[in-house]
Amino acid sequence: MSRLGLRQVESGFTLAEVLIAMAIASSILGVIFTSSIALQKSFTAVDNYFGAHMQQIRIVDYLARDVRRGLSVTSSTDRQTVTIKIPKYIIQAGDSDATVSNIGSPRSPSLAIANGDYNINYGTPTSTVTTVVYSVNASSILRTEDGELTTIASSTDNLIPETVDIELSNTEYTTTAITFKPISVADRSGTVVYSTAYLRNRRRSL
Amino acid sequence: MKMYPANDEKGNVLICVMGVILVLSIIGATVLRNSTTRLNVSSNQVRAWKEALSAAEAGGNMAFAELRKEFSADSSVRASQWSGWTNSGTTYVSPESTFGSSNLKSRTVVETCYFDVSGNFHLGENPDPNANSWYRVRSRGVSVLPGLKRTGMDDAVINEGRKHFAAFGSTAMKDITARGNGDSLLRKIDFNYDHFVATYGRSWDDPLSTRNDPVAVGGTPRISRRIEQIITPVTPFFDAAIRAAGTFYGLGSAAQIDSYDSRQGRYAFVANTPSDPRYPNSRHGNVEIGSSTATVKGMIYGDVATNGGTIINSSQITGTVDNNVPFTLSDYKMPDTTSWQYEPAPPSGGGLAYQLGTSYSGNKTLTPRYAGTVDAPVYYVVSSFNGALTVNPAAAGTDTYVAIHVTGDISGNSTGITVNPYVHVKIYFDHDIDVKNNNLINQNPTSTNPQAANLQFYGISPPRDANGNPRWTQTINLNSATPSTLAMTFYAPSADIILNGNPDFIGAMVCKTFYANGNISWHYDRALNSEGQLLDFKIASYIEDTR
Repeated sequence: MSRLGLRQVESGFTLAEVLIAMAIASSILGVIFTSSIALQKSFTAVDNYFGAHMQQIRIVDYLARDVRRGLSVTSSTDRQTVTIKIPKYIIQAGDSDATVSNIGSPRSPSLAIANGDYNINYGTPTSTVTTVVYSVNASSILRTEDGELTTIASSTDNLIPETVDIELSNTEYTTTAITFKPISVADRSGTVVYSTAYLRNRRRSL
Repeated sequence: MKMYPANDEKGNVLICVMGVILVLSIIGATVLRNSTTRLNVSSNQVRAWKEALSAAEAGGNMAFAELRKEFSADSSVRASQWSGWTNSGTTYVSPESTFGSSNLKSRTVVETCYFDVSGNFHLGENPDPNANSWYRVRSRGVSVLPGLKRTGMDDAVINEGRKHFAAFGSTAMKDITARGNGDSLLRKIDFNYDHFVATYGRSWDDPLSTRNDPVAVGGTPRISRRIEQIITPVTPFFDAAIRAAGTFYGLGSAAQIDSYDSRQGRYAFVANTPSDPRYPNSRHGNVEIGSSTATVKGMIYGDVATNGGTIINSSQITGTVDNNVPFTLSDYKMPDTTSWQYEPAPPSGGGLAYQLGTSYSGNKTLTPRYAGTVDAPVYYVVSSFNGALTVNPAAAGTDTYVAIHVTGDISGNSTGITVNPYVHVKIYFDHDIDVKNNNLINQNPTSTNPQAANLQFYGISPPRDANGNPRWTQTINLNSATPSTLAMTFYAPSADIILNGNPDFIGAMVCKTFYANGNISWHYDRALNSEGQLLDFKIASYIEDTR
């Protein structure tokens, strides 16, 4: 009789038990599957958000750095293009005063007096000025330094920069707003990063 | 029949549930970890990048504060200037300061410098004995980048096949784009400290260290940023022949104001000769008027500014006219004389050749026994100045610096001063001046090419009463007499100046009100831009070294 009893134990579950177990397992797997997708979406969204936010900060920081050391800033009427004139502090290959030994080294300043104030120049003001242009091209933000192009930000989501420059008596400042509107979240109005940067040098016409 | 199957099945369910919980936990933890790691890396880089600039600017601010200590009313503050800094010639290097919760570091190098007549830069003290020096301030800020190992962000090898950045002088070096393709989540930067030190060595911003010392990179990733600022002295006679905070009348209808630069030789009229190499310095005879009451006559080779006046641009003014330039002049106080070489008055009479009586009158030839320096002149104090004084150098051919503080008036028909070659005189007066033009004679360096900065008058502003009004009126009357060439400067922000006659005037005047009706030939000396009493410092230029 004991052998018969063992057979009954090893014979498996009843149909009802199996059905209940499968239902529970299906529910659990469904939850796992749904959770995984949700977590994956969440991670992607977070990743996109941080990526876009870092790009916002990068644009602002690049622009602020150039404005601080700039001599003049001009923003276009549509606020999408910014042109900054920067002293050519570093001697680069191809410059008229470049030699084998001085490439990569800083220029010495020179002095001029204009509009009742000291103007410090690095090299001849008109010929030794770097022109930096920030512009928008499709989904990319471009920085062009003397014709050399760098993509400083690129996003499949909407990344919208707007910059205006305000001239003061002897300096000027820019206010920039970078708006990030994720395409994947339709009802989101966007996250905006604002920045204000002043010219540290005397503004001049170049 | 007795059956026992139920106990075994309970164990399976528990294991299944725990396994599911484990899988879910791992997935959740991984997502959170990834998100948190990216946030930390990004925020650390942003923070370190920005804090490095803050540290560099803090170093620059410390240098600026150190320079401005000499204006402090507290003698102990003045005495502590450059305390803790390393001095090498005319260069000062700060200790490496550590501050902030992120252990930011900054090191600053302050180099004394000047610009010559052509505007070219030179290191060292200004060789002009009357001029003030400039300063070039280079500051480096370093921030530790926590949580990351040094992995070498430059994944593109540049030049020479070496595993670091473009070597100094390499033609591959071209600003930030030649650093390699190292990218990060935040920006296309490398760890700037590593890059900079490996390429240039520490000595670019730390002359105390060994150059080209890759070992100096150290074991912890760090971000550094560097700024360079040019600091200019603020001086009383900058770029203006006449500056009057109040009313202005002058000059005569046949007068003229132009400019020249005594560093290019003696004055010559070239304001209408563009081909002359001195021409660029000839049209800075600027007039600045801080009120709307302004009557401007004569030919002005320069700009005119008023505060609400009605001056219009005409053929008489070659430069620009701006009728909306408000400004004020602060009261002038006697500078600190602690470090000056005080020469006491004799008990009575004129005393020895190097002494000056307390109440000076008659004729006197003063030959100081010390030469003094720009910062520590031989110093006399007299209560009144009513005689003709001739000042010789301490020894033939030795530049001699003399300061005289007159606590009373300077007046009299024969009262005046003759400044001989190699002598630099500054006269500080508390009350009035009333003298004849031809008794103020400046012969340094020569009588035919006198330089205005060698005879400087400073009007100490009268103290103010409880209502803020000056306790007395200060006037300067320069009376007509011939022949006269006045080569001097006046900085008297509280004084009313009346200039009579038709003298040639070389120099500049800063005053409260100005009146002159003579046909004066006025020549502003552009060497005065950096000459005269140092009033303050300001930052003239800012650049970030983005290598």
